[in-house]
Amino acid sequence: MAYLELKGITKTFPGVVANQNVDLSVNKVTVHALVGENGAGKSTLMRILYGMYSPDSGEIFLDGKKVVIRSPQDAIRLGIGMVHQEFQLVPSLTVTENIGLGMEMTNGPWVDRKAMRKKVIELSEQYGLQVDPDRQVAELSVGVQQRVEILKLLYRQAQVLILDEPTAVLTPQEIKALFVVLDRLVTSGRMVIFITHKLNEIMTLCSKATVLRRGIVAGTLNVADTNEIEITRLMMGQEVEIFQSKRTEISGKRVLEVNGLSAINDRGLPALKSVTFNIKAGEIVGLAGVEGNGQTELIEVLAGLRQSKGQVRLGGRDVSRTTLRQRRQIGLSLIPEDRRHQGLNLLGSIAENIGATRYFQKRFSRFGVLDQVELDRTANAGIQDYQIKVDGPDAMVSTLSGGNAQKVIIARELADKPMLLVAAQPTRGLDVLSSQSVRKELVRMKMEGAAVLLLSADLDEILSVSDRILVMFEGRIVGELLPAKASYERLGLLMAGHVNQDV
Amino acid sequence: MLLKKSTPWINQIFEILKMVFTLLVALLMGALVMQLSGKDSMQAYGALFSSALGDSSAIANSLLAATPLIFTGLAAAIAFRAGVFNVGVEGSLYLGAFAAAWAGFTFTSLPGWLLIPLCILVAAAVGGLWSYIPGMMKARLGVDETVTTILLNYVAILYTSYLVNYPFKVPGMANAMSAEVAPAAQLDRFMPGSQFNTGFLIAVAAVIVITFLMKRMNLGFELRSVGDNPVFSKWMGMPTEKIIEKVMFISGLLGGVAGAVQVLGVHYRFAANFSPGFGFTGITIALLACNSPIGVFFAALLFGVLRSGSSTMELFTDVPRDLIRVLEATVIFFAAMEISWNWLRRKRNGIRN
Amino acid sequence: MEFVINVLYSTLRVSTPLILAAMAGALSKQVNLLNIALEGLMLFGAFAGVVFAAQFSNTWLGLLAAVLLALALSAVFALFVIDLHVNLIVAGLAINILALGLTAYLLTVVFNTRGAFIPDNVQPLPVWDIPIIKDVPVLGRILSGHGVLVYFSWLMVFMTSLLLYKTPFGLHLRAVGKHKEAALTAGIAVRRVEYASILLGGILAGLAGAQLSIGDLTLFTDNMTNGRGFIALAAVFFGNGAPGLTAVGCLLFGMFEALQFRVQVMSGFSPQLLQMLPYLIVVIILVLISVRKKIQRQAL
Repeated sequence: MAYLELKGITKTFPGVVANQNVDLSVNKVTVHALVGENGAGKSTLMRILYGMYSPDSGEIFLDGKKVVIRSPQDAIRLGIGMVHQEFQLVPSLTVTENIGLGMEMTNGPWVDRKAMRKKVIELSEQYGLQVDPDRQVAELSVGVQQRVEILKLLYRQAQVLILDEPTAVLTPQEIKALFVVLDRLVTSGRMVIFITHKLNEIMTLCSKATVLRRGIVAGTLNVADTNEIEITRLMMGQEVEIFQSKRTEISGKRVLEVNGLSAINDRGLPALKSVTFNIKAGEIVGLAGVEGNGQTELIEVLAGLRQSKGQVRLGGRDVSRTTLRQRRQIGLSLIPEDRRHQGLNLLGSIAENIGATRYFQKRFSRFGVLDQVELDRTANAGIQDYQIKVDGPDAMVSTLSGGNAQKVIIARELADKPMLLVAAQPTRGLDVLSSQSVRKELVRMKMEGAAVLLLSADLDEILSVSDRILVMFEGRIVGELLPAKASYERLGLLMAGHVNQDV
Repeated sequence: MLLKKSTPWINQIFEILKMVFTLLVALLMGALVMQLSGKDSMQAYGALFSSALGDSSAIANSLLAATPLIFTGLAAAIAFRAGVFNVGVEGSLYLGAFAAAWAGFTFTSLPGWLLIPLCILVAAAVGGLWSYIPGMMKARLGVDETVTTILLNYVAILYTSYLVNYPFKVPGMANAMSAEVAPAAQLDRFMPGSQFNTGFLIAVAAVIVITFLMKRMNLGFELRSVGDNPVFSKWMGMPTEKIIEKVMFISGLLGGVAGAVQVLGVHYRFAANFSPGFGFTGITIALLACNSPIGVFFAALLFGVLRSGSSTMELFTDVPRDLIRVLEATVIFFAAMEISWNWLRRKRNGIRN
Repeated sequence: MEFVINVLYSTLRVSTPLILAAMAGALSKQVNLLNIALEGLMLFGAFAGVVFAAQFSNTWLGLLAAVLLALALSAVFALFVIDLHVNLIVAGLAINILALGLTAYLLTVVFNTRGAFIPDNVQPLPVWDIPIIKDVPVLGRILSGHGVLVYFSWLMVFMTSLLLYKTPFGLHLRAVGKHKEAALTAGIAVRRVEYASILLGGILAGLAGAQLSIGDLTLFTDNMTNGRGFIALAAVFFGNGAPGLTAVGCLLFGMFEALQFRVQVMSGFSPQLLQMLPYLIVVIILVLISVRKKIQRQAL
C-alpha cells in the first residue's frame, strides 16, 4: 500500500456532489498532481484530508493504518499540512509568530521567542526558503508569504504537504524557485500533493497525476507516459478549442483616459504610482499582472471608491471627482472581482440584484416610489437574454450556481450598453463552458463599440481576448504589448518587474 | 423574512412557529422564576392576562401600553434592517417628549389642529437629529454606533432631567416635572376610565407609512440592500453613507414621536425618568418581529398586554412587575437565535461553520 | 492640596470597577467579541456580592458568590453568541435587561425592599495599609489604605498584559481576533479560545460588581452599575484593547466621577449635568479617535 491512501471518499453538499467515490494513492518521494477544472472537487478532497470537512463515506490510511481526521489539529498531528489558496497568515503577527502559531515553543508559561526564531532560521536555511523571522507578515510580498506558509508545515514536521494552486499568485520566475524547493523537500522523504489546473506545471514538476472531473476520478496517470492533450481530455471529458477573438481595427475615440493616477492601499502603502493609459472604443485592453500589484486598487479608483491623485476621464469628461453612481450614469459598468460579496446581494432576489444600479432612474421610480412591474420586466429580459436557469425574477440569488450567478451580474452590467466595461477576474472559479460564454460577451461588447478593460490572472484569457495588453507591476504600467508579440516568457518577465526588454 | 415573496412557505411557517415557541418559553421562564421564589405563577399569569384583556377598559389599557412600543419597535426595526444598531431610541424618546411638552406649554394660543402637529413635528425633528448624529459618526467616521447610542441615552435622560429640575422647573411641584401643555395640545381620549387616546391612531398610521416605505420606496430598497450587504450596495453605486444617515434620522424621529405621544396623550407634561424602558423594549419587539413593521405592530400589542397586565398583577399578587424584564430577556435570547429551517438542514449535513 | 489628595484617592477607588470590567472587555475585544453584557454581569456580581455576604455574614463568601454568578451568566452569554450564533449586541442587551429585572425582582420578593438593600451585618472588603508607603507624605495618603480589590485591579492590568503578549494563549487570542481562519487551520481550538476569553471576563466583571456593592459601602441599589459597564467598554475602545492604555482611560473616567461629587457639593451645580458629562466626554473621545484614524490615513 502507498503511504497515503484515500479510499472511496464521497462528500456531498446541498445540491452538489463534490466528491464521489474518490480513490487516491500517494507515495513518498513523489510530487503528485491533483488535477481538474474549477469545481472538480480537488479542494474539497484535500480539505477532507486536512480535517476541515468530514466525508460522508470513505476511509483514509496512513502508512497502512486507518486514521480518522476530525480537525486540522488531528491532521497536523498525523503529519499532514496544507497551504491554502488564500493564505492563512495573521497579518499583525511576525513571521516567527505565524510559523509557530498553535505549536509555540514555551519556557514555562511564556512563549520562547528566541528558540522559535532559531528554529525558523534553521528550517529556512535547510530548505532554501528565505525569510526574515522578525518582520510583520503584513509587510511581506505574496511570494515571501508563501514561503512562510511552507515553513509552517515544516515546523510542524509535516510529511504530507498539500499545496492548493500555489502558483496562482507567483511570477514565472518565482514558480521556478518554488519547484526547486519542492524538489528538495520531496527528496528528503516527504510527499507533495500539488493541486493545479495548469498543464505545463504538471508536466514539469510532477511524477504522477490524478485527474478529477465533476467529483469523480477521471484517471490516474504517470506523467512520464502522458501528455497535455490526454490530461486535458480527462479534465474536460472532451476536446475543447481555445477561444480566439477576431482582431478588429481600433479607430474609435478614447473612452477611458487615465493620467498620472496615484493611490494608497488600505495599509497605507502606495498601490498606484502615476498610472497612465487609455482605452479606445471597440477595444479590449487586457491588464496582466500578479495579484497584489495594484490592480484591485486601480479598479476601485476607476469606480470612484478609492481616493486618488491624478485624472480619470470617461467619454471625454473629467470624472475624477464624481461618485460611482454618476460614473455609471455616464456609461461605466463593472464586473467586480469578488462575485459573491461585491457583485451580488445573496439575500436578495434576481430582480433586486439586476435593479440595484438603476432603481432610481425615472423609468423605475417616481417620487421615490418603485415601479415593481418595470423592475420585474427588466429582470425577465435579463433572464431570457442570458439564459439564466431560474424560475422567475423573485428567485433568490443564493440558489444559483457560480456560472448562473455570474450571468446575473452580466445581465445587470451589460444591459444598458455601457461605454466602458471594467471586468475584474470575470471567469475566476467558473467552469470551462461558463468561462467561454463570459469571454464571448466581452467580445460582443467590444464589437458593439464599448471599451473594455479586462483584468485577469489567466494569461491564456488575456492573450486570447485582448487587442492590447498592459502589464502592471508594483503599481505601475511596466509594459504594453500586442498579443501577437506577447509570449508567456515576455509577460512573465514584465510581471516580475524586469522592464529592460525590447517590447 | 416574512414579507419576502420569494421565501418558500415552509420557512414562513417555521418563522411563525418559532415566534410562538419563543413566547411560550418566555412565559415558562417567568413561571419558573416565580415558582422558585415562592410565588404562584398561575395566579400571577391569571391576574396579568385577565386584567389586560378582561373587559373593554382593560383592552383599552393594553392598547394604550402598546402605543409607545409600536413607535419604538418601528424605530429599532428600521435601523436593524439597515444593519445599524440604534440602541439610542430611548434617548430620542426623552428628547422628543420634552420638545413636545415645550411646544405644548409655550405656544398655548394656537388652536389644536395646528398645535398638535407642531408639537409632534418638533419632537420628530429633535428625536431624529439625536439619532442622526451618531448615524453620521458611523457613516463618515466609522464610529461604532452601539456604544455611542447607548452612552447618548444617558446624556439625553440626564439632560432632560436637568431641564425640568432647573430651567423649566415648575415652582411648588415636588417631582421634577414641566408645566402642563395647553388643553389644545392634549390628544383626545377614547373613553372614560382609561387613558387610551388618539395617539394609537398615529401609531397605526406610522406602521402603514413605514411598511410602505420598506416595501415600495427607493429608500426602503436601499436600506434593505445596505442591511443585507453594504459592500455590494457600495459597488452598485448606492450612497451608503447618506442612506445610513437617513435611516438613523427616521429611527430617531419615530422615537421622538413616541415620546411626544406619551406627553400629549397620557401625562400632559414632561416628567423626568418617565419611561420604563420603552426604547429597549422596542428593540426586543423588533427582534421578535424580525424587523417587519407589521410584525412589530403585533408584537407591540402583545407586549402592551404584558405591560398593562403586569402592574395589576403586582397590585393583586405582589409579584413585582420587574418580572416582565425577565420575560423580555428570554424573548430576546430565543428570538435572536438564528435557528431556521435552513440552519437545521445544514447542521444535519455536517457542515462545520 | 487637601482637595487634590482626596480627589486622587477617590479616583483610585472609583476606577477599580471600571478597570476590572475593562480588562474583561479587553480580553473579549481581542477575539472580536464586544462584551456588551459587562453592564449586566457587573450588576449580577454586585447583587450576589452583597446578598450572599449578608446571608452568611461573610464578605468573602459574598465575593465568591459575585464571581460565580457573573461567571455563570457569562457562560450563558458565550453559549448564545458562540454556539447559537445570536447577535452579540442582542445577547448582551438581553443579559443587561435580565440583570435589571431579576435583581429588582429578587430584591422585592426576597428582601421585601424596593430600591435599596442596606444590610447592617456586612463588613466591606478589607482595607490594606501598605507598610512603608503609608507613611510617605502625600503619596502615602493617595496610594495606601484602599480595599484589596483596588490593588488587585492593578495586578490584573499587569497580568492581562502578560497573558496577552507573553503566553501562547495570548498569542492564540490575538490570532483568533485578527484572522480566525488562520488560527483554525493552524490547529487552534478557536471555539475554546473564544469561550475562555468571555469566561475570564465574567470573573473579572463579577469582581467589578462586588467592588461596587461590598468594596467600600455595603449596599445594593436598583441599577447601581448605572452605565459603568459601557464606560468600561468605551475605555477599551480608548485603549484599543491594550491593557495599559485601557487602564489609563479608566483612571480618567474615574477621576471624573470623583470630581463630580465634590464639585457638586461645592458649587451647587446641577447634579444631572455633572453626571451627564462623563458619558458625553466618552462619546467625544470615541469620535476624536476615529477622526484621528481618518486623518492619518488621508495624510499618506
